[in-house]
Amino acid sequence: MPITTTRRRLLAGSAAALALPAFARAEGAVKPRLTAISQWSAGSDGAAITALGKKFEEKGGIWQHSPVPGFTTDMMNKLRAQIIAGDPPACSQLKGPEIAAWSKIAPTVDLDAVVAAAGYEKVVAPDLAKLHKPAGKWIALPLQIYSTNMLFLSKRGMDKAKADKVPVTWADFNELAEKMKSAGMAYPIANGGTRADDGQKFEASLAGISPTAYRAACMNLDKKALEGPEMKAAFAQTRKISDWCDPNVGVQPYATNLKRFVDGDMGMLIMGGWAQGVLKNAGFKFDDYVITPGPSDNSKPVFLLNADAFIFWQRKEADLQAGQMLMAQLVMDPAIQTMYSQITGSIPVRTDVDLTGEGWSDGQRTTAAALKNAMGNNQAVLSLAHNMAQENGLTAAIIDVITEYVKNKTIKPDEAVSRLAEAVEGAR
Amino acid sequence: MTEIVSIATRPGRSATSEMVRRLPEFLMIWVPLLLSAAHLISFSIWTIWISFTPSTLIPVSGWVGLHNYNSVLASRNWQIAFDNLLLFGIAFVLLSLTTGLLLAILLDQRIRGENVLRTIFLYPLAVSFVVTGTVWSWLLNPGIGIEKLAHDLGWTSFHFDWLVNRDMAIWTIVIAAIWQSSGFAMALFLAGLRSVDSDIIKAAQIDGAGPIRTYWRVILPTLWPITVTVIVVQLQFAISAFDLVRALTNGGPGIATQLPALVVYDLMFQRSQLGRGAAAAVLMLLILLAVLLPYAAWRYVRQRRAAHA
Repeated sequence: MPITTTRRRLLAGSAAALALPAFARAEGAVKPRLTAISQWSAGSDGAAITALGKKFEEKGGIWQHSPVPGFTTDMMNKLRAQIIAGDPPACSQLKGPEIAAWSKIAPTVDLDAVVAAAGYEKVVAPDLAKLHKPAGKWIALPLQIYSTNMLFLSKRGMDKAKADKVPVTWADFNELAEKMKSAGMAYPIANGGTRADDGQKFEASLAGISPTAYRAACMNLDKKALEGPEMKAAFAQTRKISDWCDPNVGVQPYATNLKRFVDGDMGMLIMGGWAQGVLKNAGFKFDDYVITPGPSDNSKPVFLLNADAFIFWQRKEADLQAGQMLMAQLVMDPAIQTMYSQITGSIPVRTDVDLTGEGWSDGQRTTAAALKNAMGNNQAVLSLAHNMAQENGLTAAIIDVITEYVKNKTIKPDEAVSRLAEAVEGAR
Repeated sequence: MTEIVSIATRPGRSATSEMVRRLPEFLMIWVPLLLSAAHLISFSIWTIWISFTPSTLIPVSGWVGLHNYNSVLASRNWQIAFDNLLLFGIAFVLLSLTTGLLLAILLDQRIRGENVLRTIFLYPLAVSFVVTGTVWSWLLNPGIGIEKLAHDLGWTSFHFDWLVNRDMAIWTIVIAAIWQSSGFAMALFLAGLRSVDSDIIKAAQIDGAGPIRTYWRVILPTLWPITVTVIVVQLQFAISAFDLVRALTNGGPGIATQLPALVVYDLMFQRSQLGRGAAAAVLMLLILLAVLLPYAAWRYVRQRRAAHA
């Protein structure tokens, strides 16, 4: 990445800072300051945002990040409290359709000029871009992308099952799972049992069976699609996956299974790219597993998009405004996105970043290639389980049905389809 | 009180100095009381108001009538939560009551090491519910807890998977809650047992009553007021149970162990549906009142009777 671009952007940033109220100019250039809240406090997420803060400080800014650890909802409660008090942070973590919902309750910053200056729109997936400009103007910026339906294959698990072919379709996947089971693996699939995990099992199934049906049902909530045959097939596939999972895992996350997965006692895991960061933090090597796009019945990769983003809230203070502009430039900067994704295991939002170089893993390269391929075939869709397709209330109502279906094996796929359609109707 | 009255009626003291002298008492009792009452009442009224508005992310004004109530009552989450509350409330209160009473009676036998045992049984009460929930979630997990221990010891047919069995999972909450709070019931009952007039017990013994008969006919009836107190305290815990469930099962597997407090939290903070969350909270308040109002009435009647007697 050419360093001159960054420097030019920095100059533009300082120029913007100079064009601020008179009192600020009287004291010379105002020092950009950014108040930010996010849930990223620890692990690779915490390390990544700390590194971003360092870059912000290197550019002469004052970085005031208050992480709210725990669930995303805890962070959102703080955001809510600050907005009601009339003191929103200059920028905060927020994603998916919640950006549109929250932008209605407090004024946001119009980022169109700075986005245009960076030529950012051309290099962002269109469905993703739409989420960040709900009323036609950019008010939020995506920072990194994960696919929620990557397929992780345990090398030792594959060896144990004497399998060398990477599954492409759901039929391949099911065949491999059976093969692993007959090779002595009691539970070939290493997924966990959290709500989001159950949601991922279903969305991976449906999008893999038909991305068109997924778009109609989960993104557009089309009534016909919600009751269509693909939904029933997806529930049936979800049941298969959950039957291959360890029932004792209960509601624990997939991370509980990672050792068994790497050791080859479990063979496959359908998870977002973030699992790579978790595996790395747990001390496992890249050679322990292979990452490939999730099963797709038309053999072309389907990409279930999950993107973290920052939304920018309107502030009157000159230093905060300057800080917002600096932050926006940093978030869009390919070098920063590279740095960030290399820490967390995600892929950059920009589709023009070169991932061949050092610091990237094969899994990240596969993911980035899958995104490009899926975008070309219109098979990049927004993840339901990770709150990208619908607002939280609707998502939760849908996941209720899915997670109950996964845990209660007496519910038939037919019944699940009608329950899901009812839940959507009730939550609207 | 008697001392205050006697001072107040002592001649030669002005009314003003008397007021100044009693000022600290008023400040200490009335200010906190009024403040907490104002908090309680104002927030309750506010929640009730929100429950009739179309509020989602933040509170907004407007009127939607009973819409929020209808959608909460129609939702599967609430229905499951309500059924669970009935089961959990009754099972938990009865079992913790009987366990507590049994422990108290056993401890009442003037045994050696009573203090140590009493501390052990009371100790769980000092542990927060989140810790209790987490520890029990490990113990009850078939893969790492009691079931695995039994398997490792050679009892391979042993099966105890309640935590991940959606029909039985609610009982794991009952188990953990009893472990936590039967010590509380025990302490109250023990105090009750110790305060029974020894003359009555001696009289019963002279009349030829055996130990079981003495307990059943003479001592236990005097524990009635304590029993009611324990029931009410435990019931209000059961109705507002949140942290224990959140740490132990988090409403799962699936949504099998939902309880009303989880539904309220979920609606308000995870689904950003403040109006519906407030409606669910008001419904919880109504359930609590259904327990507390009869208790208040019972106490009132008892006090009147005592005053007349």
